[in-house]
Amino acid sequence: MTTVSFELTVNGRLRKATVPARMLLSDFIRQELALPGTHVGCEHGVCGSCNVVLDGKAVRSCLMFAVQAEGSEITTVEGLARGDDLHPIQQAFWEEHGLQCGFCTPGMLASAQELLAENPDPTDDEIREAISGNLCRCTGYEFIISAIRSAAVKLREADTETTLQPT
Amino acid sequence: MSDHLKSNVIPPSRQREAPRAGLTWIGQSMMRVEDPRILSGKGGYIDDITVPGMAHAAMVSSPHAHARIVSIDTSKASALPGVIGVYTGEDLASVVEPCPSFASPPITQHAMAMGKVRHVGEVVAAVVAEDRYVAEDAAELVEVEWEVLPACVDLEASAAATGDALLHPDDRESNVALDESFAFGEVDRHFAEAHHIVKRRLRWQRSSAQAIETSGVVAQFDPFKGGYTIHANSNFYNFIPFVIGGALRVSPGELRIVPVLTGGSFGSKVFSHKIIILTAGLARLAGVPVKYIEDRLEHFTNSDSHGSDRLYDTELAVAGDGTFTSLRFTVLDDYGAYLQFGVGTHGNAMAQVTGPYRIQSFGMRVRAVLTNKTQQGPYRGFGSEVTNWVMERMVDAAAEELGRDPVELRVQNMIQPDQFPYMIPTGNIYDSGNFQKVLSEAQTLFDLDGWRKKAHAMRAEGRCVGVGVATCMERSVYGPTEWWSLNNKETPGFTLTSTPEGITVRLDPSGKLFVTLNSPMVGNSPETVVAQILAERLTVAPEDIVFNYSDSQSGFNGVGPQGSRFTAMIAGACVSASIRLEEKLKRFGAHMLQRRPEDVELRNGTVAVKGLKDQEKAFGEIALTSSFFRLSFPDGEEFDSGIETTAVYDHPLSTDPAEDRSHLGIFYPIVGHICHIVAVEVDPGTGKVEILDYAAVHDNGTMVNPRTLAGQVWGGTANGIGTTLSEVFNYDETGQFTNANFAEFAMPTANEMPRNFKLGHVETPSPFTEYGIKGGGEGGRLGAPSALTSAIEDALSDRGVKIASLPVTPPILRGLIRSAEQAATR
Amino acid sequence: MKPSAFRYERPADLPAALALLGSGGDTRILAGGQSLVPMMNYRLARPDCLIDINRLSELDYIREEDDVIAIGALARHAAVKSSDLIAAHLPIIAEAYDWIAHAAVRNRGTLCGNLCHADAASEMPAIMQILEAELVLSKTGAQRSVAATDFFVGTYETAIAADEILTELRIPKPAEKTGWGFEEVAMRRGDYAWCTVVATLQIRDGQIASPRIALAGVNACATRLGDAERALAGQSPEEGLFAEIAQDAANRAEPQESAASDAEYKRDLIRALLPRVLGDAVARAR
Repeated sequence: MTTVSFELTVNGRLRKATVPARMLLSDFIRQELALPGTHVGCEHGVCGSCNVVLDGKAVRSCLMFAVQAEGSEITTVEGLARGDDLHPIQQAFWEEHGLQCGFCTPGMLASAQELLAENPDPTDDEIREAISGNLCRCTGYEFIISAIRSAAVKLREADTETTLQPT
Repeated sequence: MSDHLKSNVIPPSRQREAPRAGLTWIGQSMMRVEDPRILSGKGGYIDDITVPGMAHAAMVSSPHAHARIVSIDTSKASALPGVIGVYTGEDLASVVEPCPSFASPPITQHAMAMGKVRHVGEVVAAVVAEDRYVAEDAAELVEVEWEVLPACVDLEASAAATGDALLHPDDRESNVALDESFAFGEVDRHFAEAHHIVKRRLRWQRSSAQAIETSGVVAQFDPFKGGYTIHANSNFYNFIPFVIGGALRVSPGELRIVPVLTGGSFGSKVFSHKIIILTAGLARLAGVPVKYIEDRLEHFTNSDSHGSDRLYDTELAVAGDGTFTSLRFTVLDDYGAYLQFGVGTHGNAMAQVTGPYRIQSFGMRVRAVLTNKTQQGPYRGFGSEVTNWVMERMVDAAAEELGRDPVELRVQNMIQPDQFPYMIPTGNIYDSGNFQKVLSEAQTLFDLDGWRKKAHAMRAEGRCVGVGVATCMERSVYGPTEWWSLNNKETPGFTLTSTPEGITVRLDPSGKLFVTLNSPMVGNSPETVVAQILAERLTVAPEDIVFNYSDSQSGFNGVGPQGSRFTAMIAGACVSASIRLEEKLKRFGAHMLQRRPEDVELRNGTVAVKGLKDQEKAFGEIALTSSFFRLSFPDGEEFDSGIETTAVYDHPLSTDPAEDRSHLGIFYPIVGHICHIVAVEVDPGTGKVEILDYAAVHDNGTMVNPRTLAGQVWGGTANGIGTTLSEVFNYDETGQFTNANFAEFAMPTANEMPRNFKLGHVETPSPFTEYGIKGGGEGGRLGAPSALTSAIEDALSDRGVKIASLPVTPPILRGLIRSAEQAATR
Repeated sequence: MKPSAFRYERPADLPAALALLGSGGDTRILAGGQSLVPMMNYRLARPDCLIDINRLSELDYIREEDDVIAIGALARHAAVKSSDLIAAHLPIIAEAYDWIAHAAVRNRGTLCGNLCHADAASEMPAIMQILEAELVLSKTGAQRSVAATDFFVGTYETAIAADEILTELRIPKPAEKTGWGFEEVAMRRGDYAWCTVVATLQIRDGQIASPRIALAGVNACATRLGDAERALAGQSPEEGLFAEIAQDAANRAEPQESAASDAEYKRDLIRALLPRVLGDAVARAR
């Protein structure tokens, strides 16, 4: 069996690995890196539960082999919170009841992260479009959309505060 | 009241906490207690569980819908490096018995097929290996020789099949596993006297829960250490040891089921007993802990996620003035290859089969048909979503045939607010309600009059715009007679009548309340609900409550989230526990304050002297003293150390079915009411439906948390939209399930949901539950299909299109429009 | 649902990749992987060797070369969708992407990979045919260019040979005032469509000129509608004519039956969508 050795950065930490070439990135993150927050719902690229942020872009980790991420920077749900504080997007999901069972949530957060990084003030339709590749069976999406709308406000406010701070 | 119901006496209310205004925590949209750990990726779902030495299972699944297994050769698979063992049905049968069944007499079902397979996806062999990749490699090397048998796919054809097309010739001489008829009241007389009889043939096709997490199990067996330890995402973990202990050849006490956070169920994980038996048996055979997580294909083809699949021939008897007098139908239900859950879904529907209407009698013949498809399991609504749709279809049909306005006809027949508790012909009661108020609020929220004018004008321009109204029941707080009340009277099976829910509450010496729940978190909000109720009842802050889940050996009664029961039931347990804790706290606190217990009260987390401001002892101080300073209190058992209680709440209101089944007793009495109104536009050329506007008003009694309830309504509505418009099962004539994937089984995305969903609430408290709470976990799906169907039919009313079958995907709807066009030009 | 084992190669440059392609066995190019990897997870595809071209950054471009927009093998859907060049010269592509897949899939998937996959219901093969794109196929020591209309042979079948890589897509810039139309019907936005109809045309002296029309999701692969184009050329744009042409196109279609949608439905969709597409194209051409 072909094994491959490589390095990548996950949640700010350099990780080294030797795994079979066929190991999916989703399995690698969950099992080899012991970061089970990334969820596997369909393994055929439709549900979006396994979305992670790879070099700034949300991608399906079930549709990549781990080795393909060599040298990349990945953020999983475990990398979002800062110390004891939830990330503003997580906080907004909490406040707006943007999750029920929570299984789709890490993927939703990854999609929301990319959206808000590129578009700090999205319309509701842009939010819908951005999460339309993430299936949720619990919420009917309504409160997820409110959560991302609210997260946008939080992030813009945080951005303004940062800008106003003396350097 | 009809004579047949006279023996069904409504028991007195056991409500202790009356519904009232001015509550502190109940009614608040508190942020959920469960969320931070889930949001940070530390929820702990079944696939996150690893135990030392754990191996992984992969299944060899049947490619045929119906076939004899001639031989299985596992030698190549066994020889693959990394494989621990390869096992067939016969191997598994050396350590486990057949699966339990609610059908009576049972239909034999093995967790792994023996002799023959009866649906695509049925497991015929399993590999246990060091990792899942290798296990799947080996599974491909298992060689099975098949003798293909005729597959029964069509519901009516299967009911008439004989010979090799019989699925279970050893258990039944026909593919009709159950055929029972019932008359509740004077059905024949009402139909004989009817001025008008509305008849419709209605088809509700298979639907599916498809939670984003599949079912899974991690099982360990140690004969020297008390049997099995099993992690499972079952909803029902404190109950299933009693259901499956026999199958696993251990006493229930030797079966420790450990719950996990569950990634959605919607009914599909209520039991999960087949996958538990399968994985546990493999762990025993392999001698190592085994993890088996269904992949999506396996969840589609071999789990318990398929919902009702029914054909109704329905008649509604109507008097000259439009009053409904009786309802009757014959229903065939395509249960798939096994009948593990009996006809519980039809029992369930008996709770509210006549809808919100004053219908005096009801008759039914139910035929459970076996076919070569995956067996049915529970899905949100559990059969009542279907009868809601049937009832609402019949009302719309009556309105059309009688030339009446469909809303006005509904109002004419609705149960009046002063008629509660109201007993329907089957014997179930509706505890309370105000259907007229729900309807009127929904009409206002939606602007029904305005929309009807608008739709009329748009239709005049040639656009296909329509409005649909559904007024439906949402029964809650289920009682278990639904599982067996429709079984043959001579062989009713396991006549279970208990659905208790328990809780343990301990005041820790630090002053925190430690709560142990006996039902898992499946996407509902068990911790939040309990935090709000205990905070209310004990005057503590919700953040001072810490949650824990029992396992089945440390736990107590718990039936779990199903049948929209959990909130009302756990509220009862919380009240019982609170009464006992209050008594203890007052006893200890009064002693510390040198007062009599009757002179103190609970106030903001303290025991305080009535009428005096500063005379109080914080719970923490009382708990600390009572736990560590025994000598501060008098002798006597009543001052034994610690403040802790375990309380259980039994079903608040149920009675037995009549011996002769002239009625089914009270079993699902806490009823909510819902009104959904929707406007749609149909593109007649393509059959695409666009939802233009949507309003829903729900009455779930006293609301504990309006926001989480709204989440349930929206989620259920999304499920209902999928069931109606896009989710379709494509079984071909050989029984292949050709769209068993998320790309082709089209569950709604955010793009498919209505843009301007409006939600309102009416609160008609139950006189029977604590604080008047009713359940609300299923309502969206109980109303959306009826309202949408009605709206689509209205949109196409000028073209003469009738909708008698769901789903109506664009190809199906376009087919109906095409037929109507062809009929019009003929 | 895990892929079977394979040899993994990640060549450093195109010649190395081409050299590996000749090495025999079931060797596949791994570009975005958004179609290949699901098939591997289902074990419907089980290549012996994967050649990962994701590090061949020389193939990651969208550029203007005189009258042609050239798109490299590694240009992701997301890059094409948001490209200013595409928006300026090929707006039909930008519009179509609103209906193709979802953000995370577009972030990885490549346009060239999508064309090589050649799903019968995929939109881009139809669009490339009406844009009269050329596909540059490279192998060791040689290169050839194939017209889009010749590239698509059948469902999952293309003109590409086992030792070739589609290295570049060359799309001529449409003439000034070329109108375009795009319509599709799918169960959900982002799904493969039951039927996609695309067209471009110009209006000269009040008459339709250079009409190009293609269908996807109906026949075994995306196809140009030559008969409809001939019937339309030189005519005045009128709804009645569009309906007639749509009726004729529907009659000529040989729809692939599937459980989810029958042939008659596909014909209905041609009848419904083609007039809309032509109407939009005419409006945009004016």
